[in-house]
Amino acid sequence: MSIRREDVLHVARLAELEVAEGDLPRLVEQLGRIVQFVAQLNEVPASERAPAFLAGPAAVRLRPDEVAPDRLIHGIDRFAPEFPHGFFAVPKLGAMDGGE
Amino acid sequence: MSGVAFIAEAVGRGKTTAATVAREVGARLERAAPLNATLDWSQAVLNREAARVDALRQGGGALPLAGVPIALKDNIVTTDQPTTCASRILEGYVSPFDATVVHRLRAAGAIIAAKTNLDEFAMGSSTEHSAWGRVLHPLDPSRVPGGSSGGSAALVAAGVVPAALGSETGGSVRQPASFCGIVGVKPTYGRVSRYGLVAFGSSLDQISVFGQTVDDAARVLAVISGADRFDATSATEPPPALEPARRDLTGLTFGMPREYFPADLDGSVRAALDHTAHSIQQLGGSIKEVSLPHTRYAVPTYYIVAPAEAAANLARFDGVRYGPRHVGPEGDVRALYRATRGKGFGAEVQRRILIGTYVLSSGYYDAYYRKAQQVRALLAEDFRKVFAGGVDYLLTPTTPTPAFKAGAKTADPVAMYLADIFTCSINLAALPALSLPVGRAEGLPIGAQLVGPMFSEGPMLAVAGALEAALDAKREVR
Repeated sequence: MSIRREDVLHVARLAELEVAEGDLPRLVEQLGRIVQFVAQLNEVPASERAPAFLAGPAAVRLRPDEVAPDRLIHGIDRFAPEFPHGFFAVPKLGAMDGGE
Repeated sequence: MSGVAFIAEAVGRGKTTAATVAREVGARLERAAPLNATLDWSQAVLNREAARVDALRQGGGALPLAGVPIALKDNIVTTDQPTTCASRILEGYVSPFDATVVHRLRAAGAIIAAKTNLDEFAMGSSTEHSAWGRVLHPLDPSRVPGGSSGGSAALVAAGVVPAALGSETGGSVRQPASFCGIVGVKPTYGRVSRYGLVAFGSSLDQISVFGQTVDDAARVLAVISGADRFDATSATEPPPALEPARRDLTGLTFGMPREYFPADLDGSVRAALDHTAHSIQQLGGSIKEVSLPHTRYAVPTYYIVAPAEAAANLARFDGVRYGPRHVGPEGDVRALYRATRGKGFGAEVQRRILIGTYVLSSGYYDAYYRKAQQVRALLAEDFRKVFAGGVDYLLTPTTPTPAFKAGAKTADPVAMYLADIFTCSINLAALPALSLPVGRAEGLPIGAQLVGPMFSEGPMLAVAGALEAALDAKREVR
């Protein structure tokens, strides 16, 4: 199928990516060619129930739930501007514009 | 200064010091500056690394990499240098922890020499997609060194360091190793911990090794391999034993898959591979033509799976948690995400995020991502059958051509993707493989690829050692 300008804009919104107006024609053309290229897979007969590939072991290994030291070179307090009483202080939900 | 074993022996026995090695490496890094292969290094960091190694040595422990300078692709995190993934979106970012491979290298006495340039977020096959400019091929500056680990490859090929780490998702170490005339080893998926490797395609990514020689790469791989409690995908197999190079290949069968030798294969690559096959026979090995029938679907499968996983992994770079932030015109948080990501990611990364988001989006998931994972299972089954049918290793070209000219493929993403045609199916099947230099055409190196069954790195490196000794990698093939 072909890729339209609206498709690129829709996918860019889903991907939280700002796309400059001037880049749109190039992206429509390049994405169209890439999608056409990967659509070759439609030639491969595979039923809906054909197994999908799994990288790594088939079953996740369970391991003892032990507290072990991490590798951070500084305390977690340094990850946030405010860390009162052992908690991360963050803006109130909906208050990103600076309001309370 | 020479190979890994030579330096480790000299520093380990006190014939020289890590400080002396560090000064020499600094001088070589200075001279190699025109290659644009590094994103961060300093003599101060080198000296600090060397002082740590010299103190370790006086502590008396066995150090298999004593004083060995090793460069790291800049998508492997370090606490004392920035990690940017060659992206503006991570400019100035310094990790609060070291990658497991960095821990293991340091514990073995290695000197972390430099952070190297790459295609942004490891997306590319030429190291032209870096926010800090392209890397030059050490033998011909008009050409690319391959990618995405082109900076690490160029430093090893230029003799600045004997070994370096890169990462592979679809061939990003074997392909530049082939272009630059050095050894590149992609281990089995899970062989090396990925804790501290910035994720691109999580079902494919694997930290991989460059060496000037097979022995250099083998020694580094032995140190960085093994289970890691910080990486649930790391395998429990013990690290590959360091095996001496085989003297002959008697009793071994090498499969040459016909799909990897198409009619339009570059003549010099074909000649170099014919010569390699002849050497295998002279060493007592046998050659058998085999078929991997789904090979032609490997690149399209890869370019669904890898971008889909990349779109998910790169969602974390939003201007809130890492790197510089661009506030959008509307001043809300989604505008902040969009502005930061739109300005922070380069063109190739944006393309892959868009493709990945598209193939995962509602209505398309089954047609693309699910189908690709099914075809991937068929590709893996092709390899399984060949190895079950009496083939010990596969012999293929690593790349369809020697190093191409800079700019030759940047306008056409699909042409660039096809540079990975002989490497990416191995990542899709989670197998180990290596690229070995086997000849040159008009001065440009050509690599042969060996592929083995899961966790066969030790014996495969011993086989590569035999070929390395038998072949003159600088010989012109026509």
